[in-house]
Amino acid sequence: MSNIPMLEIKNLVKVYGKGKAKKTAVDNISLTVERGAFFGLLGPNGAGKSTTIHCITGIAQPTAGQILVDGVDVVKDYKLARTKVGLSPQEFNVDIFATPDQLCNYMGGYYGINKQDRQKRIDELIARFDLEKHRNVKFQKLSGGLKRRAMLARALIHTPDLLILDEPTAGVDVEQRHDLWGFLKEMNKNGKTIILTSHYLEEIQYLCDEIAIINHGKIVKEGTKQDFMQDGKSVEDTYLEITRTKESQK
Amino acid sequence: MKFNRIGLFTMFRREVDRTLRVVIQTLIAPVISAALYIFIFGTVIGGRIESFEGVPYISFVFPGVLMLSIINASFASASSALYFMRFTRGIEEILIAPFSYLEMLIGFVGSAVTRTMMVSFLILMVGLLFGAVTLVNPVAFVFYIASISAIFAMLGIVVALWAESFEQLQVLNTFVITPLTYLGGIFYSITFLPETAAMITRVNPFFYFADGIRSSMIGYSEANTTIGLFVILGLVIGLGILVTQLFKRGWKIRS
Repeated sequence: MSNIPMLEIKNLVKVYGKGKAKKTAVDNISLTVERGAFFGLLGPNGAGKSTTIHCITGIAQPTAGQILVDGVDVVKDYKLARTKVGLSPQEFNVDIFATPDQLCNYMGGYYGINKQDRQKRIDELIARFDLEKHRNVKFQKLSGGLKRRAMLARALIHTPDLLILDEPTAGVDVEQRHDLWGFLKEMNKNGKTIILTSHYLEEIQYLCDEIAIINHGKIVKEGTKQDFMQDGKSVEDTYLEITRTKESQK
Repeated sequence: MKFNRIGLFTMFRREVDRTLRVVIQTLIAPVISAALYIFIFGTVIGGRIESFEGVPYISFVFPGVLMLSIINASFASASSALYFMRFTRGIEEILIAPFSYLEMLIGFVGSAVTRTMMVSFLILMVGLLFGAVTLVNPVAFVFYIASISAIFAMLGIVVALWAESFEQLQVLNTFVITPLTYLGGIFYSITFLPETAAMITRVNPFFYFADGIRSSMIGYSEANTTIGLFVILGLVIGLGILVTQLFKRGWKIRS
């Protein structure tokens, strides 16, 4: 197995707008996610989590800094870098008239997977996420939980090395959330590197072994889950302690 | 990394799926419009006009009707597909996939050209029913159809990137494309026009589009073919560079 980290973010800056409308969403952050890690990225709304994810995946252009996925620069060698990342975004960025089957099929095609392999992979994912009955139902007709599962299936179609899940269980009921946790644990155990953002901190505590908190575009704490759970605290206790301090609220 | 051939084919196939999903809007409506144009201009009015330069009026008009449909189909396909993707954030599916900026250009333009070819084929069938179709130079015909379709697909992409509302999506079509199309000699010969109007028509690029298709179909041309080729290829290359650069900058699609 390679020693290269799965993700290296070096001095990333992302500024939106110009002049008076200028807003620094990500302010010189550096992060390393090792191969096989289950990494939790926490922070309040607007802290810079999604912007960081967008910079990794190509949805946003970094203003400065460097991002390497498996050693591949996401700006200079963007085509190769994109084959290594799968994204299940916070917002449903889909054609709502397409079915889960079609969404996976189109996405698999975009990643250059041939028809036979694509169909095999779609069948596996549809079965894995229990979407058999819904595979030919339009996305707009699916429940919140089914939509999330369809997004996950789409994110996994090309078997990415790095899976990024931005609020994957928002709107998902408790049973389905636990099913999903089991699936994510299993994938991680089999070597998949996963980055997870979530407002459900018990989810982060249950799944992740490395955690970073981002606030106002800066990393304010980073460490192992044990670092966040010292003195009998939960991850949520530590999170609130950090995000409520004056320093972090600047 | 190698050329994303499967990815591009998927983009084209997705446009075919989208076209068939709204078949009344994308295929049936343009075919009905074209059939009405052919019937009215070709049969009703054309029946009272003697042949023009040895060509029946219906055959003279048909290339213009076809061009009108090509322009509308290409522009609508590219502009609505991309604008809808921006609106629903479905564009992110393309942004996170391994497409180069040139491949994105080929994907969007090729998708629009694919739909235009479907529309063109159906209109050619209608034209055959009316006895309006002749084809003296099939290679030139395919060249003109594909290049004109590509030009309007790229214009559609630029408008789809610029537009902030469905209303703005129609601005270029209403105020520029439609007037220039009708004033570009699609239904008449510029020999019917006064000298000044004929001169103005000669600086209208749409005149060269219509003339190119007409010359490939009936062998009659009123424009300088070399100038026409320069105009068409110049627009294809110029717009191609513009759209590739817009994709590279991520204008309105990449934050």
